[in-house]
Amino acid sequence: MPNAEPPPVVIAEGVGHVTRYFLREVGSVFWLIVNTFEEAFERIQHGRVPFRAASFFRHAERAGVDSVPLVGLVSFFLGLTMALLTGYQLQRFGTERLIPGLVAIAFTRELGPLLTGIMVAARIGAAFTAELGTMQVSEEVEAIEAMGIGPLRFLVAPRMLALILLMPCLSTVSNIAAIFASSLVCKAYFSIAFPYFFDLVKDSLLIRDIITGIFKSLLFGLLIAAIACYRGLTVKGGAAGVGTSTTSSVVTAITAVIGFDTLYNVVYTTFYPT
Amino acid sequence: MVELRDVHMRFEEKKVLDSVSLKVEPQERLVIMGQSGSGKSTILRLILGTLRPDSGSIFFKQFEITRLSRRKLQQARRHIGMVYQYSALLSSRNVRDNVALPLEELTDKSRAEIDKIVDEKLELVGMGDTKDLLPEELSGGMRKRVALARALVLNPELLLLDEPSAGLDPVIASVIDELIISLSEKSKVTSITATHEMDSAFRIATRMAMLYQGKIIEEAKPEKFKHSKNPVVAQFVSGSTEGPILEGSLDAITKK
Repeated sequence: MPNAEPPPVVIAEGVGHVTRYFLREVGSVFWLIVNTFEEAFERIQHGRVPFRAASFFRHAERAGVDSVPLVGLVSFFLGLTMALLTGYQLQRFGTERLIPGLVAIAFTRELGPLLTGIMVAARIGAAFTAELGTMQVSEEVEAIEAMGIGPLRFLVAPRMLALILLMPCLSTVSNIAAIFASSLVCKAYFSIAFPYFFDLVKDSLLIRDIITGIFKSLLFGLLIAAIACYRGLTVKGGAAGVGTSTTSSVVTAITAVIGFDTLYNVVYTTFYPT
Repeated sequence: MVELRDVHMRFEEKKVLDSVSLKVEPQERLVIMGQSGSGKSTILRLILGTLRPDSGSIFFKQFEITRLSRRKLQQARRHIGMVYQYSALLSSRNVRDNVALPLEELTDKSRAEIDKIVDEKLELVGMGDTKDLLPEELSGGMRKRVALARALVLNPELLLLDEPSAGLDPVIASVIDELIISLSEKSKVTSITATHEMDSAFRIATRMAMLYQGKIIEEAKPEKFKHSKNPVVAQFVSGSTEGPILEGSLDAITKK
């Protein structure tokens, strides 16, 4: 029976192909961000607004305000679960008063931005890709370009700015919902009164944790918007292509958010180990 | 006004344009003819700069389109109006907002001035009473006319039309053709039309060019073009199944 394993050259070729594809995609997203900023600033230099305020507010409303119930609810449930599970473990050592700080730090610094990033990537990233993808296949994007209007500043910039500015707000909603949920658990199961709970939260939270969370959210917003818009503007193959790109956009954005979060944590803890 | 010099263009393995050279004089109405997929729309996109050729040069007025930076290209495009085959109206904006878009984005005109120009252009194409409708509420012919109004809103010197009468009933197709002719005569607009609709082509054209297998094989005035000795052009004009265009493929079709 012949050996079914592929020869090393084939494996190396496959790895090379995947690496090249990955680097090309990363490069393309990077240049989309650079070109969008360039087009927007050129417009500002000429004393004109890069996009209409109405367009920004429409995207901000859809991405931000309309996402509040989902982000709030999911974070509330996770806050409840986290407080409950960690509480019972900590109770065995008589240290249940650590729950407020644990939930507050975990959400402010890590879980709030991360969960929000994942939910926004799925909800808004998919919408951006589908919308721009449909415009791309129906030649609307090309028509905008043909008129001499920069499609990046007209279509991408308002979406990007909306997500960059709204992500920290949504992360804050997520943090508040989770901390509020854990305060209910602490009161009901571990007899920690609300004032004492919030004193413990205040004592344990550092400004650095809050700044880290906000900074991460800003970057996640930029990352999700750039990936979603890039996937939308590069759609090929009609309606089926829009579907494929939308799926790909959500998967890529979620992976990128988690990957970037890990990288950020590794770098951060290397320089600030405490 | 427009010149293509030795333009080559290939999409992956397929050679679409093979050493195409073409010159369009001001106020001419050039019609480029050819089979579906022969590269007619590609020529329009190359002039517009949304596609770049593999080699060769494209000139529009003083601009060398193939060498322009993004910013200069955007400036050059303000002098060109493009009507797409499927209209390419922005589906989320109503007719008024579609036509007003170039004015809002590229000029400093007030809302009242923009409204006046939009009304004027929509009246010109006979669509004055559709301002508040969305593109999805319009028929194919109406969309084409709105797309034409949008292309004209900045008073371009060059109008590019990709299959302007494809899929339209003969009456609406004639209306669009008459509009193109009247624009050229009254507003001195130069136009390049890509089409394979014979009636429309002969009605519009002041000069015709035939694109076949990536090359311009004939360039002539409509009368001369109609009686061309070139077997490909003669077959295309007559719509006959006998001739060099379907050689080989016709056998394959009949055998099936």
